[in-house]
Amino acid sequence: MFNAKVKSEVLKGIIDVTSPLVNEVKLNISPKGISLRAVDPAHVAMVDLAVKDKAFEEYKATDMELGIDMDKFGGIMRLSSSGDMVSLEYDEETNRLIVKIGNLVRKMGLIDTAGMPDPKMPNLSLPAKIVLKASEISQGVRASEAVSDHLALTVSKDNFELSAEGDTDTVNLKLPKDLLVELNATSKSRSLFSIDYFSNMIKPVKGEDPITIQIGNDNPIKVEFDIAEKKGHVTYLLAPRIESE
Amino acid sequence: MGVDIGDLFRWEKISFKDLHDRVIVIDAHNVLYQFISSIRQRDGTPLKNSKGEMTSHLSGIFHRTANLVESKIRPVYVFDGIPPPLKAKTLEERRKRKELAEKEWQEALEAGDLEKARVKAQQTSRVTDEIINQSKELLKALGIPYIQAPSEGEAQASYMVRKGDAYAVGSQDYDCLLIGTPILIRNLTSSGRRKLPGKEAYTKVHLRQIRLKSSLKLLGITHKQLVDMAILIGTDFNDGIRGIGPKKSLNLIIKNGNVENAIAKIGGDNVPSIEEIKEIRKIFLKPSVTDDYSIEWPGLDKESVLKILCDTHQFKKERVAPALEKYSNVENMMKQKTLF
Repeated sequence: MFNAKVKSEVLKGIIDVTSPLVNEVKLNISPKGISLRAVDPAHVAMVDLAVKDKAFEEYKATDMELGIDMDKFGGIMRLSSSGDMVSLEYDEETNRLIVKIGNLVRKMGLIDTAGMPDPKMPNLSLPAKIVLKASEISQGVRASEAVSDHLALTVSKDNFELSAEGDTDTVNLKLPKDLLVELNATSKSRSLFSIDYFSNMIKPVKGEDPITIQIGNDNPIKVEFDIAEKKGHVTYLLAPRIESE
Repeated sequence: MGVDIGDLFRWEKISFKDLHDRVIVIDAHNVLYQFISSIRQRDGTPLKNSKGEMTSHLSGIFHRTANLVESKIRPVYVFDGIPPPLKAKTLEERRKRKELAEKEWQEALEAGDLEKARVKAQQTSRVTDEIINQSKELLKALGIPYIQAPSEGEAQASYMVRKGDAYAVGSQDYDCLLIGTPILIRNLTSSGRRKLPGKEAYTKVHLRQIRLKSSLKLLGITHKQLVDMAILIGTDFNDGIRGIGPKKSLNLIIKNGNVENAIAKIGGDNVPSIEEIKEIRKIFLKPSVTDDYSIEWPGLDKESVLKILCDTHQFKKERVAPALEKYSNVENMMKQKTLF
């Protein structure tokens, strides 16, 4: 059983976080809330998301799985405006999710979850950790998009640095420790990442909201932030690119 | 080549963009056959180098794979290993048909019937060991990974998708569905148009995708029942029962549950034995596959490609160069590591 009422923004948030990586997800429903973990088909990035029951206005559920086509669900949610209350109900007989937005009733067919993988979170030891406001980094990422398809992130004892290099142009953003919410590193760590992926990962976080970033040397990056008014949490992993010779 | 069950399934039209960044396992034997049968001149003569050796397969691998990597698709080729013993009869029949087609091609050429010549020439197409080895050599130089299957290539490809190492299998062969390919993509390596038989006209060829699970659900049968259906129609491993096509077979299996009961119901003498049924089911449901592979992107070796295509096989450099440029993407792809 799954029966819930929730603000449109919460669902849109989940879609924004998930749909750049995967088209189809297995949503794990439990009495305590919903969660999902998925890897993109290229195995480059992973998203792990949990939203507590408290994020919903009304929530009643037993343990179950819903196979969701994110493109389709995203299309449905675009029919809602912010502030709209959306009701979700699983119809077991027809294996559909009944989505109600105001007087609109949209029944969405679900995907069979039987063959969908349960990816394991890889064990990573990432020595450098920073916490910063979304607005501090988003400008640097936007600037890098115009210059290259990958960027370098460096964390040293005293600052965090983002840089990108194209054939003729470069971007550099250096943030000293006092502009960061937190910096925790004993030595220098540096890895390269695809801008496409990275930019999608930080896009859902806006303005003053904090993003936690952990990196190592030529290791994946871990990006974490809260959604749904802190009643939900997102963890992304992104595999690095190898430095050119 | 195998069972013609495509009409029963629901095809989704997709575009190259939908496959962006995805690993697609390509059934090498299937596309090589496609290349050597279709990349030919109007009278059916394949592309040749100055020594008269066929080069259609090299042209196909080089140009069609270039289109894929240009679209940021990550192709991995899988080559056939040793065929299951039950396939021997089919293979022998194919060989005989090709010898006959060879004769008919020459006759059509002498008679000046170009249309017939082309058709017959296509039927002579054989994926020889030399074609396979040359293709592997070219893929290696292009920095495109390939994997050697222990037995049937499509079985290995399908296994890699089920394991989550790839998104889909690229093949024209519906046997991929029998062998449990979760997502099959057709026309991935097609030229984008296909000649209509008997006419000087072409039809546009679209990329199409079929999802096994949802398709089976729509048909109301299980994967095992799909294999049973195929046994009734006839596969690469057995002759079908006369007069039974996809639709009849589907009804028989739905009504009777499995192939044994269906055969008992319809009777006749030319039916597969219980042992044969068991063996064929095993080929499709528990095929021989390997975990001993890795998908790596070693990067483009420009010099080797030019040597193979331009020096050995006299491809025109000015035609090779622009397509070769597209492979610079591969180097980019390879720099991106994966999580697992």
